[in-house]
Amino acid sequence: MKYVIRALLYLVLVAPLALFIVYSFTEGWFFPAPFPSEWTTTTFQRAMDDPRTLGGMWQGFVIAVIVSLLSLILAFPAARALGLRQFRGRQIAWLVLFLPTVVPPLAIGMGLNILFLRVGLAGTIMGVSLAHLISTLPYTVFTLSSAFARYDENYEHQALALGASPAQIFFNITLRMMTPSLVVATLFAFLVSWSQYLLTLLIGGGKIITLPVLLFTAASGGNPSTIAIKSLLFILPPALVIAFTARELNRHGNDIREQY
Amino acid sequence: MKKIIYLLVTLSLLLAACASPAQSSSEFDINDWDSVLAAAKGQTVNWYMWGGSDSINAYVDTFYGTALKERYDITLNRVPVADAADYVNQVLSEKEAGVEEGAVDLMWINGENFYTLKQADMLYKDWAQVIPNAKFVNWENPAINLDFGRPVDNMESPWSSAQIQLIYDSARTSEDELPRSYADLKEWACANPGRFTYIAPGPGGFIGTRFAKGALYEISGDAKQWLSFDQTLWDSQSPALWDYFNEIKPCLWREGEVYPKDEAELVTLFSNNEVDFSMTQDITGAGRWIIDGRMPETARAFVFDNYMIGDFNYVAIPVNSPHKAAALVLANLLLEPEFQAAQILPENGFGLGFAIDVTRVTDPAQVALLEESASKLGESATPADEMAKALAGDTAAEYQSLVEQDWLKFVLQQ
Repeated sequence: MKYVIRALLYLVLVAPLALFIVYSFTEGWFFPAPFPSEWTTTTFQRAMDDPRTLGGMWQGFVIAVIVSLLSLILAFPAARALGLRQFRGRQIAWLVLFLPTVVPPLAIGMGLNILFLRVGLAGTIMGVSLAHLISTLPYTVFTLSSAFARYDENYEHQALALGASPAQIFFNITLRMMTPSLVVATLFAFLVSWSQYLLTLLIGGGKIITLPVLLFTAASGGNPSTIAIKSLLFILPPALVIAFTARELNRHGNDIREQY
Repeated sequence: MKKIIYLLVTLSLLLAACASPAQSSSEFDINDWDSVLAAAKGQTVNWYMWGGSDSINAYVDTFYGTALKERYDITLNRVPVADAADYVNQVLSEKEAGVEEGAVDLMWINGENFYTLKQADMLYKDWAQVIPNAKFVNWENPAINLDFGRPVDNMESPWSSAQIQLIYDSARTSEDELPRSYADLKEWACANPGRFTYIAPGPGGFIGTRFAKGALYEISGDAKQWLSFDQTLWDSQSPALWDYFNEIKPCLWREGEVYPKDEAELVTLFSNNEVDFSMTQDITGAGRWIIDGRMPETARAFVFDNYMIGDFNYVAIPVNSPHKAAALVLANLLLEPEFQAAQILPENGFGLGFAIDVTRVTDPAQVALLEESASKLGESATPADEMAKALAGDTAAEYQSLVEQDWLKFVLQQ
């Protein structure tokens, strides 16, 4: 029974991916034909020949990395304060940080685009990255602040009492203890940024083209092969990042277990 | 530390200030085409257009992209967009922000989008009839100098033509059972329940709107009266139109409770044998869809005997385009007879019809090329004489939103 459930689970997870792969290499596969009659790499070739495809992946990747770094830098102090301290206006700070998850990005994006156009940030990698921060920050702040809520500041006090410098404390105590949460927060930021469509479209104004922009454009044409290829390319980097993070976190967990 | 930041900020401001005038230094006089060509040399033209069709994208990149580079040293940057409204918004946002050098140089627009930008005063003026190849365009034709009933006023240039047709699969449906009028179609649909549907009229489903307008023509018995707006005419005739669509509704795919929202969805239904007819606006009929691998090779286009609405596609230049010269050269290239001949060939994957009036082309070699193309449309296209016989112009613009809104109210939600 356990195996049946496990097999079913895998099937549900893998079936759509398998379908994408099949669609990527077929043409003219219509209902009610049970199997594709024609296998071809032309659509795949066409997608790879278009410089926008790899260019879009690269730009999206660069933006996602910038966004991940920026949101860590911004979220870390915010999360520390929110997780460790009780202060007046804490609830309001939470609200402000979480507002972007409830306000539709279209409303933010339209206004932001005009502002960014004025200051010359629209249509630049930096502008798009800053816009993505709006969507990623709630996730990074939330992940890190819940970690800080369980964080014992006495470790830092101990180190201070033993004569460690603030930098030493930060790198050897705080950062070490926060590593797993930092990894998870980075992952969230990366994934949210990588899959951003609307803000990229609005702020990028056609100058910044990432894979989701190409994917939505392809979807508007409805060609299943093109959509499948772009979807596969879209899934690939996040899948790699998740696999890598899962391994690292496992190792970290083992390290900690060994220490005790 | 602070000093360094100040220095960096000042430097970047200086750089930004220097960068802008250098780009726009290329002056030209539109009446002196050589000066346009000279100014365009070395520029990159950012052409924003709907990018949902692989074969159209490939056509644009190979045919125009190569020619622009080789002949004029212009780089074509085709910007693929999911919806024309996206770049209309971009241009409007740039206006709001007072951006003098926008992102868009040339855009494929039509109808309401054109009118929106024209109203916003964001279109480059006085060029469409001045470019050299405008001589091939019949600017006297109201179907060209009006776009969805709005005067074009020299602000956009046609590049292709379209006419609504239906598509059937000759392996499934035989030619002699095809409906040849809206009345026929209703009979056919109710004799074959669930095997027909149409695209929901609406901003994304302009072919559906066009299909509904054709029905309005047939039911009211005359197309010409709809060229100018008349509310009382609409009030007296539209109930019969909604009666028609409500009568056909129970016979439709899924009893007319849902409709495909655009052409792509209808094509998917058609190809997967859920319905028996699709719709298109291509002169090559089913040709481009077959090339795209989206329809079986047995797909064929056909028209009713009357009231098949046709019109033109245009390109326009935003007033804040930084590369107007290159955009003008591209708009001119689109009208070049050799590319007009290339764009209608099914194997090239573009599929839309001529924007030029072929009788205005005098060069014998070009005439031969155009005639050869026209003869090679293939069996997946509707015969040219049938298309021409059924051709009707579009309505006055006001009817566009009336049809779309009232269809929602009286057909979809009733």
